[in-house]
Amino acid sequence: MHAERAIRLPKAGHPIKFNRMSDDPCKTELASWLELVGIERDKSAFTDLFRYFAPRIYHISLSKFGSETLANDVVQETMTNIWRKAHLFDSAKGQATTWVYTIMRNVSFDMLRRISANKEDNLSDDLWGHIDNAEEDSSLEPFRDHLADRELQNGIDNLPDDQKQVVESMFYQDLSQSQIAEKLGIPLGTVKSRLRLAMTKLKHHIGEKHD
Amino acid sequence: MIKYHPDNAFLQSFATGDLPASLAAAASIHCEMCSSCAQTVQSYTKQAATDGFSALDSRTENAEACSYRSMSSMDAMIEQITKDEEQDMASENQSKTIQVQGKQFELPRALVNIPLGKWSSLGRLSRSRLGMNDGDIRASLLLMEADGGVPEHTHKGFELTLILEGHFKDEFDDYGPGDFLMLDSNHTHNPQTDTGCLCYTVSNDAQHFTKGFNRLVNPLGYFIY
Repeated sequence: MHAERAIRLPKAGHPIKFNRMSDDPCKTELASWLELVGIERDKSAFTDLFRYFAPRIYHISLSKFGSETLANDVVQETMTNIWRKAHLFDSAKGQATTWVYTIMRNVSFDMLRRISANKEDNLSDDLWGHIDNAEEDSSLEPFRDHLADRELQNGIDNLPDDQKQVVESMFYQDLSQSQIAEKLGIPLGTVKSRLRLAMTKLKHHIGEKHD
Repeated sequence: MIKYHPDNAFLQSFATGDLPASLAAAASIHCEMCSSCAQTVQSYTKQAATDGFSALDSRTENAEACSYRSMSSMDAMIEQITKDEEQDMASENQSKTIQVQGKQFELPRALVNIPLGKWSSLGRLSRSRLGMNDGDIRASLLLMEADGGVPEHTHKGFELTLILEGHFKDEFDDYGPGDFLMLDSNHTHNPQTDTGCLCYTVSNDAQHFTKGFNRLVNPLGYFIY
């Protein structure tokens, strides 16, 4: 109890920018520190991030690698990347903790590869880049809420291209059937029949998953 | 439509960075082709972040606050990091096209920076070993030309086949782009392709041919995977 109190004391010499009750900042606080670092190169926001994440990264890395030296290297490299990449963080795309986690994971992966495979290829970006940035694409879609159901989106993705085109024009661009016919340069009857086929397939797809 | 996906344990290990590079590449390539598995990986990543960065319990926190580093060395590290004025650019989308047997293929993102070995051919099969340097695990690109196939075989270790382009079939099913097949010694199969097929394969041991003449040329197993 005594020990717990001791480390929860505010750190001397560090201005408290946010009205914090404890050292356990909420998610929006972490995100706003990242934004301050990214936009204003704010050192005290970085210090806040450091004090929150560094012991946690150390803890995770120590149990993963079983080496204090490696765990320290992961902390140093991860925190360096946070400082250099914070402007790439977008709170609309995901949580601060997830973003920091992916940086730590990539640092650990590349570090292990340097040690065990003697490779300096920093492969992590090629392996995870398209997944870590994927939320950006889906959040750009209008009417996203109507299609939030993953099964449905999945079903649409798996439609033949001509049916998919018609369905997406209707859902995403909110076009009428005759507008779709005009846009795609196909007869209205074709639009109707493609829609009907697509809907049958989607129902089948969703029904299948829920049976 | 992709019919065969990695299982959730595989996707979770990928999300947490615990797969060897060759297998992580397989997961990455599959996710590039399958938005559903990509979302699953995102969920596991978020979960791992929440679990990993949740409040340290007071005992760990205390022990590590002491053993981790003194506040002054922490400040030194902060000072050193923030001296750097540079910012990293967002990584660009690289692409790489290869030419094999007169055909062009665009490589998945995960393989763009991996050195490709020289292509060697045997009949309608061509194979290039990838320079993953992944210990005992070998990764290759395997091209089966139209009307070709791999003789019936089983595997001593595991054999992962991920279709990048084209289709093949064996005695169980037919498979297309994105299909992710993880086979072990319980499986015997005889893939054939009508149209030609480019696969990413990972194996930790040679194939073992099971039938007739091919049984006599088992060293072939080392050629293919």
